[in-house]
Amino acid sequence: MPPAGSLVYVYGILPAEEAANASETGVDGRAVRTITHDGLAALVSEVHGDALSAAREVRAHWRVLEKASEHATVLPVRFGTVMESDDHVRRELLEHDADHLGGLLRELAGRVQLSLKGDYDEDALLREVVARSPSIATLREQVRDKPGAAGYYDRIQLGEMVAAEVARRHEQDERSALAHLQPLAVRARAEQPSSHAQAFNLAFLVERDGVDDFGRAVAALGDQVAELIRIRYVGPLPPYSFTDVELSAGSAAWV
Amino acid sequence: MAVAHATPRGYLERPRPSGLADVIDVILDKGLVVDAYVRVSLIGIEILTIDARIVVASVDTYLRFAEAVGRLDIAQDDQAAGLPDLMESISSGGAESKTKGALEGAKEKLFGDDDDDSDDDDEKESGSRRRSSSRSGSSRSRSGSSSSRGSNGRSSRSRKES
Repeated sequence: MPPAGSLVYVYGILPAEEAANASETGVDGRAVRTITHDGLAALVSEVHGDALSAAREVRAHWRVLEKASEHATVLPVRFGTVMESDDHVRRELLEHDADHLGGLLRELAGRVQLSLKGDYDEDALLREVVARSPSIATLREQVRDKPGAAGYYDRIQLGEMVAAEVARRHEQDERSALAHLQPLAVRARAEQPSSHAQAFNLAFLVERDGVDDFGRAVAALGDQVAELIRIRYVGPLPPYSFTDVELSAGSAAWV
Repeated sequence: MAVAHATPRGYLERPRPSGLADVIDVILDKGLVVDAYVRVSLIGIEILTIDARIVVASVDTYLRFAEAVGRLDIAQDDQAAGLPDLMESISSGGAESKTKGALEGAKEKLFGDDDDDSDDDDEKESGSRRRSSSRSGSSRSRSGSSSSRGSNGRSSRSRKES
């Protein structure tokens, strides 16, 4: 048992039989250990909450999950999850949500997450927008000839038209990337791009032995869109985007 | 940071092993959410999450910046004119951020070298504020869910700024 006063930081859930002896250092510089209950294991460490550093703790959280998922199917728990004691982890998480967690582990077994972010070459994107829309091209010429205040409203109108066209492009590029890759994945998720310069932000759940095929499809897509979009292809990751589930404690945990 | 480009042909076939910069958004926003009623709200951790989100919001801007600079053709006036605008939007966003000091330290450690032993400076900088505010709440309560909602709001705002 951890000493009184300490809390328990939770990293992830994995099948008990896949839980190797974790000797990692985790958040707050504490040793990582497992709490098991009925076939499920939680990766945890003590946490006191003093002198935490964003950079160090996020990195520690990530490392523990990276390491664990090298030889196990791990359900990552959202960064910053802390519970009161080992007993709470056992009863209110492992026992209470056993069906849900077990189901997710079975569904995700042998599968990994691959992430794909596409960034526009902004100049190329804007050039294409102008080239494809005669009305934008015309207005652009007009605005160019009007100095300062005289062209103010024209410029707003031009910007608005460009923004609409860029939004249409986003949608189109995301849709075609998904159409290209989804057949090779078990599941796919499209996240909101983080800026207007990002064409798409996609997460795929792929069978471990399908990663090579998937990679070839990514390479083909990359060549296809190379004029306009640079792709960042990262993985394999624990299935973060496919465990984006809220576990509900329900009333039982309260009484 | 090396970024895998779409060309030359075949470059992308193998995914790049993840660096923290690539996955920090999923670490903060994805994964199982344990119910607020059985979770402890640890103020120190809540603040960390907000700090880390601000760093995330900057990463894409930095990458775009790096690329814009790489592409920069000095002979072409059109492109050079676009850069000060970008610069302005970044610096004004930075000035609004109250946690800029912490951000600098966090950024270095998140995306810099892998050496944990050199954490000390970073800790001193961001830790002093932490120490005073951490561990205020160890009760299981609704405050957990409301403060995490707060940090989500913060993140979408910083995203818009970038």
